Formats: sequence, structure tokens, C-alpha cells
Amino acid sequence: MTADTISRFKIPAHEMERIRSFLGRDPSLTEEAVFSALWSEHCSYKSSRIHLRKFSSKGPRVLMGPGENAGVVRVTSRTGIAFKMESHNHPSYIEPFQGAATGVGGILRDIFAMGARPVALTNSLVFGSLRQPRQLTLFRRVVAGIAAYGNSIGVPTMGGEVWFDERYAKNILVNAFALGLVAEDGIMSAVPPPKPLLAVYLGNKTGRDGVSGAAMASRSFTDGDTDLRPQVQVADPFVGKKVMEATLTIIREGLAGAIQDMGAAGLTSSSVEMAAKAGLGIEIDVDKVPLRDFSMEPWEILLSESQERMLLLVEEPRVERIMDIARESQVSAAVVGRIISDPIFRVRKGETVFAEVPVPYLTDHAPLYDRPARARVHAPSPSAHHSPSEAGRHSIVELFHRLLDHPNGGSAEWISRQFDFEVGTRTLLPPGHDVAVVDLREEEHAVAISMAGFSHPLTRDPGRGAMLLVAKCVTDLAAVGAWPVGLTDCLNFGNPERPETMSDFVLAVSGIADATKRLGIPVVSGNVSFYNETDGISIPPTPILATCGLLSDRRRLVPGRTFRAGLSLALAGASHDLSLGGSYLDWILDEPEPDPVPQVDWETLARLQPFMNVVLAGRTLCASRAIGRGGLLRSLLQIVAGGPTLGVALSLPRLDNPLQTFFSEAPGRILLAFEPEHARFIEQSALEFGIPFRTIGITVPHLWNIRYQDRDGRSKELSDSPEQLKRRYSASLAGQMEELP
Amino acid sequence: MTPRHHVGIIRFPGTNCDLDTWEAISLVPGLVPVWVSHKEKSAGDLAAIILPGGFSYGDYFRTGAIAARSPVMDLVGDFAQKGHPVLGICNGFQILAEAGILPGTLLPNSGRTFLCQEESLVIENCRTPFTTLFDPGTPVTLPIAHQEGRFFIDPDRLQDIEKKGQVLLRYLSNPNGSLREIAGLTNVTGNVVGLMPHPERRASSLFGRPDGLLFFQSLALYLERQSLRTLSEAH
Repeated sequence: MTADTISRFKIPAHEMERIRSFLGRDPSLTEEAVFSALWSEHCSYKSSRIHLRKFSSKGPRVLMGPGENAGVVRVTSRTGIAFKMESHNHPSYIEPFQGAATGVGGILRDIFAMGARPVALTNSLVFGSLRQPRQLTLFRRVVAGIAAYGNSIGVPTMGGEVWFDERYAKNILVNAFALGLVAEDGIMSAVPPPKPLLAVYLGNKTGRDGVSGAAMASRSFTDGDTDLRPQVQVADPFVGKKVMEATLTIIREGLAGAIQDMGAAGLTSSSVEMAAKAGLGIEIDVDKVPLRDFSMEPWEILLSESQERMLLLVEEPRVERIMDIARESQVSAAVVGRIISDPIFRVRKGETVFAEVPVPYLTDHAPLYDRPARARVHAPSPSAHHSPSEAGRHSIVELFHRLLDHPNGGSAEWISRQFDFEVGTRTLLPPGHDVAVVDLREEEHAVAISMAGFSHPLTRDPGRGAMLLVAKCVTDLAAVGAWPVGLTDCLNFGNPERPETMSDFVLAVSGIADATKRLGIPVVSGNVSFYNETDGISIPPTPILATCGLLSDRRRLVPGRTFRAGLSLALAGASHDLSLGGSYLDWILDEPEPDPVPQVDWETLARLQPFMNVVLAGRTLCASRAIGRGGLLRSLLQIVAGGPTLGVALSLPRLDNPLQTFFSEAPGRILLAFEPEHARFIEQSALEFGIPFRTIGITVPHLWNIRYQDRDGRSKELSDSPEQLKRRYSASLAGQMEELP
Repeated sequence: MTPRHHVGIIRFPGTNCDLDTWEAISLVPGLVPVWVSHKEKSAGDLAAIILPGGFSYGDYFRTGAIAARSPVMDLVGDFAQKGHPVLGICNGFQILAEAGILPGTLLPNSGRTFLCQEESLVIENCRTPFTTLFDPGTPVTLPIAHQEGRFFIDPDRLQDIEKKGQVLLRYLSNPNGSLREIAGLTNVTGNVVGLMPHPERRASSLFGRPDGLLFFQSLALYLERQSLRTLSEAH
């Protein structure tokens, strides 16, 4: 490599060549900085774009699809939900508190940039094993960071998921989801109208924090990266709230033509992307940008990722009113440039031009890679496999204890109690449920949010595993009677330059695309996070999904737990393939020859929600919840979590494979608790919808007793104390976190 | 016609339970919520004032420290001095304590994390404008959501507030290390109340009991009686 091919911004040599041939000259320092940001994986999606075309974003309810700050789906006659999920993995590993806090701030800005008022946050967190002190610190500080931002700005963090797995120790995942409400006629766009417009900067002043963050998030870590902290942004939820209110006021008054938040690659990406969408150019004068540090170079101002900033494109007569609003809200605002008809991105500092690049070079002509993919060599064929027997180390009682004792199977209350989950008083179900439910306060409707990010099925089989995640979301939603109306995803993968990672990615994307098309769920927004790799070791394929479902009548909602004894318990849903492959039990046991990942029964899955709707409309249920992580036994424990002593007495018929019955996580099954007098109605409804249905037992105080017959017809009995099981469940995560001084 | 009493809800920059408080007040017949800016200097025709929860001025310093010194607090001090009802919820309580309108202070929770959870509490003082509808000793369930809720005061003054019956509300199981499980208290004259739990979050409920609504209904009853008394005095 010759000296002149080395980029000061770590642009690969062949891309530098491409830049030179486009420009016909060497790029200036500022231009090179701009290319490094916009051609980064994070901004350009250069390795993923061709595969993401498989997703369908069409649907009768879709008001805004990909290409905007967030997708919008109509949920009442006049209101839409704007929602999106984003990763903040790399920054959170370097500086967990600020990394996580700015992740929340960033996703909120995407939502209110659409004119939507944020009303719910959720998150998905993946860490290494808590046995390592470093992970304890990372985890503790990430949770505190999310809490600091969400609690302060006053948007409730309603739920989420957490998973601990050694393979993420050097690449933790912090994905944040936000949802906002917007009137259908008040939706803002990032695509400017064809008018002469000025670029107005609104929000926090620009400093040196987060310079080149996007490029940092587009590389693998190495052990040499000991101090990347200047590339992490600093959160200020107080200013964030002021910017949010000011932005929403500006949109409500119809003052802006287009808005984009200054997220990754800050001023550069927001200005260039908005201009590109209109086929126009934009000129920025960095002298006009409100600064915290006046010694900043033009390229630093362009690439700074200082938080709480928005870029607005505005017609000149409206600028004055915007300045007034900014003053009232006590946030900075300035005209920093203008849209120009030549499709050129021009950066000036006073009269001196620092960069002049045709916009298409930065966006449409950015590199696009169809990277080679090579499937992994998987474990021997499943046909050679024998299911583990339930004897010895596979004693069901012992296994259940092991599932509960690990933080992955315990209560996540230690996390959720640090989040203000009900500010705004729209929270219809507290944390501890599989879904968050947001009261729309309109037409009695509510929106349920289900998160799915469990990577183990994808480790076993990326395609089928990805389908399973979609099916899990749909089951979670059905359990509260919600019909899926839209999905967003955050695709967390390793290094796309590795053919195995690329293969995982392609299979997972195909799996999600297939499953969502089958069920008619539009994929309205999304995010890709590659290079979750350190020292050559990539994370397992980890797409994290958030699916939103619509409840037509919030008053019919039932919780996922009960405190009442004497209720009947029943299992409704598909159950022909209860394979354990990819389950939590499979992860705990880590057998060399695992079961295959179960196949989804799409037919039954699609009928589950209409069935639940009828049963809920009849007001016959006391509690319902999807069979989720850990399978039937863990879901049973959760459904009786309403009281400290409540347990169950179950009588099951002959079981060919008790392990599958008790631990399978095959989606499409819902556990129901109801007054015995309603049994006939519920069973009849199940029959009408073709839903397999079986009453399995009742809720009883102080008792945990499960009787069944094994393969050979011998009577078996599992006995435990519900109080002790509940103690295990609540202690496994909290115990680890609270022991510390 | 029932008189309609204006209840001022103060909005500091960073207040975030303002809308929830507004909704809760709106549920009570006879009460009308009105916004009060942090710059306001005159109480106008307000019958009561509420300082809602949130993170005033970001709460980057000691909690409530900046809000307690903002212009509207002179108004709140006078208003309280005259014996009108004032309620501070969560951050509002922290601000009242910081301003010296209520005794004691609220330190970071003993567990050092933010805590958002339901608490069982017992109401001890039912003579304030916000608690007249409760029975002394009534158990209630209300949510807390705070990082600085550990009530602290020096031993002499602790004895003093206990003796004068200023303790309004106690936790059944202490979540944050508060002295004597104190979750809420009142001033000597009983017209100013500070609560760490959020009654406005339990003004209506899909599943649980709306225990919070009684605080606002109490206020309506109190103001109703006050105006009757004023009327009869006028006659």
C-alpha cells in the first residue's frame, strides 16, 4: 500500500480509488471526512442494501415506510404510530452510560422528527456472562444510562428483553425501540418539497463529542482500541426535552418543509440525505453552526455527533417564527445553509469553500456490495439425534431449577424497576409481561409491542430461527388479542466481509421476509448493525424484532398473571412440532447433537388472534400469556406470579416426550387461566377456529404438583414449592446485581 | 351550581408529570386544572397549587435545587403562608423541601438506583386538604418512581415532626432507606403536603384500585367546604 492510498479516515484503499475517479482529483481533508461518514456501513448500508429489498413495506395501514426517520402505521381513524428501533452497540461498549443514554435520545429524535409525540420506549439488551466483573459494570451502567434518559425526558420505558451469553462479552448489544403518536394529517417527512428552502439548525450546540462515530460503528474492535471515548456522544435529556417540544410545536404550526435528526454523521448525513431525496443540492456554512468549541475544524463540525440536534428545511418567511419558538424553548437555532438547485454538497466557512462534491456521489453512487456468502458447516444431521432422556442430569425438576437460576430465566425486575415505565399513564400492562401495551386514548384502541431477539435458534439455523422470532412476536400479540400491523428490526451481525456472517445475514433476512409476507406484516423501518466483532470473533446472528399489534378494545385486555386460586388452566394452539432446537433448554444443555429448530405452523398461528379476540370479547379470561422462553413450566410460573403462594396442580395424559412438553418454545401456543364455568365456551370457540385446545389443570395456593404418564404408561409426578420457585425466579438476576458492595 | 376551583399546575422546564396531573385533576368534579409557568409571579384566582413530578432543569445538581430558586417559588411560598393548599409530588416534594417550605430533605435512594414500583403505604394524617377522604391507618397502594426519595432530617426535628403529627404517609416496607419509613409529610399548619408516591398515576385504573384519585377528591371536598364557610361568613 502506497502512502497516497492511505486514508486519514480509514477509508479502504479501493474506495479511495473510487472517490478519486469520481472527483478526478484527490479529495480535500473535509471531503474525505464527508465520504468516510456517508460511505460508512452505518450510513450507506452498502453490504445489506441489496438484501433488504426482500422486505415488503406495503400494507393498507402503512402511511410511511422505509427511507423516512421512522415508519408510520395507521391505528385509529385519524392517528398513526411512528416506530423504529436502532442499535447503539459500539458506543455502549466503550462508554456504557452515555452510549445507552444517547441510543435512547437518538431513537426518540427519529420519532419526533416525524411529528409524532413519543409515548413508549422498549429495549433489547444482550451482554456477556455476569460472572465477569467487566460485564457487571457494563450492564449496570447501560441500564442506568437508559433510565437516565427515558426517565428524565418523561417517555416511559415499558419493557424489553435481556440475554446473557458469553459470545457477546466483547460486543454487547444495546437496541432501543421507540413509538410515538401522530395525527395522520400531521406527519412530517424527511423529503423536502421542491421550493427554495433554508437549512435551520435547532438544538444543542456542536462540540467535539462523537466526531466520526458512524465510521467507528462501522469497524470491528481490536484490542488496540483502548480509547475511543472521544467518539462517543454525550446525552442531555433536559435539552432533549426542550428540543422535542420545540420541534413538535414547529411541526404543529406547519413551519418546516422537511426535518431530519442529526444522528449518525450529524450535520453531514442529515443535510446530504434530505437534499438527495429531493434530487437537489445543499450548501452549508460551518461558520453559522452554533458551537461549544470555537477551535473546531470544518470537518469536525460536519462529523460531530453532538446530541439533541435537528436539521430543518424551511421557507424563508417562516424562519422568524422558528427562531421565536427556539428562544422561548431556550435552545439554540441558526440558519446554517440553503438548498441549491445544482445537486452539489458544498461546505463553506465564510467565503472559503472546503468541500464541493456532487450529492449523488455521496448517496446513490456509494459503494454497494453483494458480498460473498458461504453457509456454516452445521452439526451432524438431526436424524442421527436422540432426544435426551428425562433421567439423571435431565431430571425435569433439576432442569427447571437450572433454567430459573440463570439470569436468562429469572425475573428482569431488577432492570425494569429502574425505568419509569408509567409516566404518561398510558401503560396498560406493567413490565414482566411479554408485551408492552400502550393506551391510545382514542376509540378505546391500544397498541401492543412485542420484542424478539433471542439468537439461539439462529445459531442453530439462521433461516428457520428468524422465522421463529416473527412467530414469537405474533404469538405474544395474540395472547393479548392484538393483531400485528407493522414490524421494525435491528439486524445485529458480525463482520460482513466474512462469508459465513454474510450467509447468516442473507438467511435471516430471507426468513424474516418470508414470515412477514406470509402473515401480511409490513416491515416499515429498520436498522443494520454490522461489525459486531472483536479480534476476529463475531457475535451470533442476532436480529432483534419489534412487532406492533392493534387491540381494538383496551377494556378487554387481561394481564399475563393472576393471584386467584381455583382457576382452570388450559393450553391453546399449535403443538405438532415441539422440537427443542434453539430453545433456552437447548442453550443451557448445549448438546453436541441438538434437535432441529421447530417448524412454525403458520395456519394455526394466523387463527390464534381471531380466536383470542372472541374469547377476550366474551370476558371469560382472567389471564393469558404466550408460551415463551423456558417453555410451559416457566410460563406456568409466570401466570401464577400474581400472588406469592399461588401454584398449580396439573394432570397431563401420556407424554411421549416430557422434555418437549415442559420445555419446548415452539411458538403459537397460549396459556389461559379462567373461571371453570367458562370452560365450555372457550373450548367451543377453539374448536370453531380449529385451534388445538386442552385443559391441563387448576391454580392452587401453596402447591406445585404436575402428574403425567411417561412413554410406557408409568405414573410420574413433579412436586415443588411455588414459594421456593418464585424465590429462585426473582433472585437469579437481582441476587447477582445486589450482592455487590 | 357547583363552584369550580382553579388548581394551578406548575411547569418547570423538565417537569414531565404535568399532563398526568392535569388528567387526574380533570377527573374530579369541581376542580379545573390551569397551567402555571415557572416565571409566574401572581397566584391570581388559584385555589390550590400542585408541583408535579419530573426532572426540573434536568436535576443534574442536587434535585430541585434550581427549581426551588425560580421566580414562581416566591408565589408558592406566599400562597402556602396564607394557608392555601399546596401539593408537591415526587420532584415537587423535593422542590418544596429544597425551598424550605417542607422540613427535611430527600437523599439518593439507599440502593442508589432509580426505583419504579408499587408500594403499600399507610395514611396517618387525614386532616390535610389532600387526605380528608381517607381513614387514619388506611392502607393504600401507590407507585413510586424516583432516584432521590430517601427522607432525611436531623434527630431533633424528626422528633418534632413526629410529635406534631406531620407524617402523612409511611411505607410498609421501606424501599429507599427513608427515616421512619416516611413517604410523605405536611407542614405544621397542615396545608402543604409533599408525597414521594404518585397519586396522579392511580387516578383511574384498568386493573388495580384507583387509590390516587382520593387525594384529588379530598381537595375538591376541602375547597368546597372552604367556599361554603367563606360564603356563610360573608352573610
